[in-house]
Amino acid sequence: MDIELQTKTNGATYLSKEQVPAGNGDGAAYRITEVGEEDGLLSAQTSGCNGGTVASDHAVETQINLEKIHTPQETSAVCRIKGELNEVIFWRVKLWMAIIILFFFIFAVIIMSMLLCSVIHEDKDEIFDPSTFQVPQCFNGSFQLPNLVFTEELFTMSSNESQTLAGELREKLADLYRSSPALGRYFSKADIYAFRNQLLLADFQLTFLMPAEHQDQLRNITLSRKMVYNVFRQFLYDQEPDESGQMYIDPVSLKMFLKH
Amino acid sequence: MFLWQYLLTLLLLITVQICKAQRCEEFTDLNLCHALIGTNLKVRLLLYTRENVTCATLVSHANFSSHPQFNLSRTTAFIIHGYRPTGSPPAWIQKFSDMLLAREDMNVIVVDWNYGAANVNYFKAVENTYKAADNLTAFIKIMQENGASLNSIYLIGVSLGAHIAGFVGANLNGSIGRITGLDAAGPQFTGNPPEKRLDPTDAQFVDVLHTDIDGLGFREPLGHIDFYANGGTDQPGCPKTMFSGSSYFKCDHQRSVMLFLDSLDRTCTSRGFPCSSYKDFLNGNCLNCEGFGAEGCPVFGYDVTKWRDVLLKLGQTKTYFNTNKVSPYCTTSYRVDVMIWNQDVRWGYITVKLHGNGKETVATINHRASQFQKFTETKLFAQFDKDLQSVKKMSLKFSTGNVLKPKYKLRVLRIRLTHLERKESFCRYDVILEENKEVTFRPIPCEDSNF
Repeated sequence: MDIELQTKTNGATYLSKEQVPAGNGDGAAYRITEVGEEDGLLSAQTSGCNGGTVASDHAVETQINLEKIHTPQETSAVCRIKGELNEVIFWRVKLWMAIIILFFFIFAVIIMSMLLCSVIHEDKDEIFDPSTFQVPQCFNGSFQLPNLVFTEELFTMSSNESQTLAGELREKLADLYRSSPALGRYFSKADIYAFRNQLLLADFQLTFLMPAEHQDQLRNITLSRKMVYNVFRQFLYDQEPDESGQMYIDPVSLKMFLKH
Repeated sequence: MFLWQYLLTLLLLITVQICKAQRCEEFTDLNLCHALIGTNLKVRLLLYTRENVTCATLVSHANFSSHPQFNLSRTTAFIIHGYRPTGSPPAWIQKFSDMLLAREDMNVIVVDWNYGAANVNYFKAVENTYKAADNLTAFIKIMQENGASLNSIYLIGVSLGAHIAGFVGANLNGSIGRITGLDAAGPQFTGNPPEKRLDPTDAQFVDVLHTDIDGLGFREPLGHIDFYANGGTDQPGCPKTMFSGSSYFKCDHQRSVMLFLDSLDRTCTSRGFPCSSYKDFLNGNCLNCEGFGAEGCPVFGYDVTKWRDVLLKLGQTKTYFNTNKVSPYCTTSYRVDVMIWNQDVRWGYITVKLHGNGKETVATINHRASQFQKFTETKLFAQFDKDLQSVKKMSLKFSTGNVLKPKYKLRVLRIRLTHLERKESFCRYDVILEENKEVTFRPIPCEDSNF
């Protein structure tokens, strides 16, 4: 109440000064509203508030003009709100500050939660339980190693030479399927079980394990011969012939079929 | 004294003869003043043949024998221009006749009705189209009397000119060989009954191109075949705002001529895919050309006559194709099939980049977010600005346009690109496309497969 009274007097003096050049109530009314509009909400200056009060003290002719701009009731309502906004809640924090802070806080919470969501987002496709993968799916096939120097010993699987070669190839196959995003999780093992004829054909077997649920879909699409074959073929097309040296596998020679 | 006079007369006669022989007729050049005052219709027919490619002769309705190069056994093509609000000659007119003559030994007649078309009052120009058509009809009738066959008459009309061609065709009971309408005018013609606009009954074969259906062009189909370039609305490379001046108004409209000239050039072809809407076309739902047999879907432009018989059987066909910003306008189309194994449905845009022989071409499929569903083939339609004969590498990018959502991954089982012309395809299996990250790899020949 104390504040309100003070501002009233302030306004009155201010207005009386302004009234002199204007000469009539009409002009004063305009000026009053101008003052009101220029007054920012945040400027903490409350003189504009008195427009309404002063105007209501004025002659009736002024009233007509004023009605076009602000009715006294409206102005006084605005005034009251301004007054309330400027009330100090605690320390130096005024109500309008508190409202703005509250808005910022809500906004920040929204942003934070969105960011948090995206950070802790769990990719459904990366969650799987390998222990449920029990249904086997096997593929047999062969490929040719054209760059390899042929020796008689390779024909006997028990020989050291063929064992090392088989080991290397097994590793290569296992790496290739384990690193596959779509097939990696189902891959179980790769075997090289024979080397044949002068052209050096290697026979291999691939074993995949899949879950019992959705097994039909998996069997027909993800773990179909087409997919398993093409992942291998793609890997062979990607290899540089000179880099892989002796271990170079001819992509065209790759054959694969589903083992029933 | 007598000798002198005699010699002078002779000299004068010779010069007159030389001047007469060398005089080339030019397209009427008017200016804005004429357009402001308004002009009365005057039709001039400028004849170009292979004998006089650059130098036109004026042909009159009466005297055919004075033009020995006007051989009526050849095809006669009439180029009919449209509304000229400024009165200037169309910039493309000389090129048009040059290119037609380069393609075929024919008579090219440029129908110069600039007096009549140059008028700020568009309605007046529209009125003049009927009169110009009557004039042209009379001329063709005389040609017919002199031994020309109506089958060999070919009218090419641009904008208002397309409707003039239609009226001429109607006057001659639709027996002329062909009418090509290049973005036939829409204002004052939209909603007209067939007799008051270009329609399929106006000639034995009517092919129409639409490039500005939301502006100066005509929205509905008008011919046996209607090509809608880029949906017929906004042409790539044309200004999108009014700040670019007059080209904002005419660029889309004028593009129709540029596209037709490109087809005469034969640098590359644009196939029009029959479709009910542009949206369906962009979604890749209209890539089937089996109805047209071995020839495939009709190619836009001068050579569309190859499909004439099948198109006449179909009645009316609406087709779509996309173009580049500049000439060569034709694009290279690929069908892209994507199958994913994500458990949840993913929505997004795919950008495909092809590299080969030091060249690169990009297609962004972003007219709408595509839906990708587990183990279901998503069909996309990618159009590249140029054709790479051998693709060495390709890059893929997946984007969703989401800012605050987590970065999704598109787990692709197989992506397959099929060249729609050459039918060859290449594949890539088992790729993970992380949002907004470009992945580059070597495509491999597809093992012909369907899961």
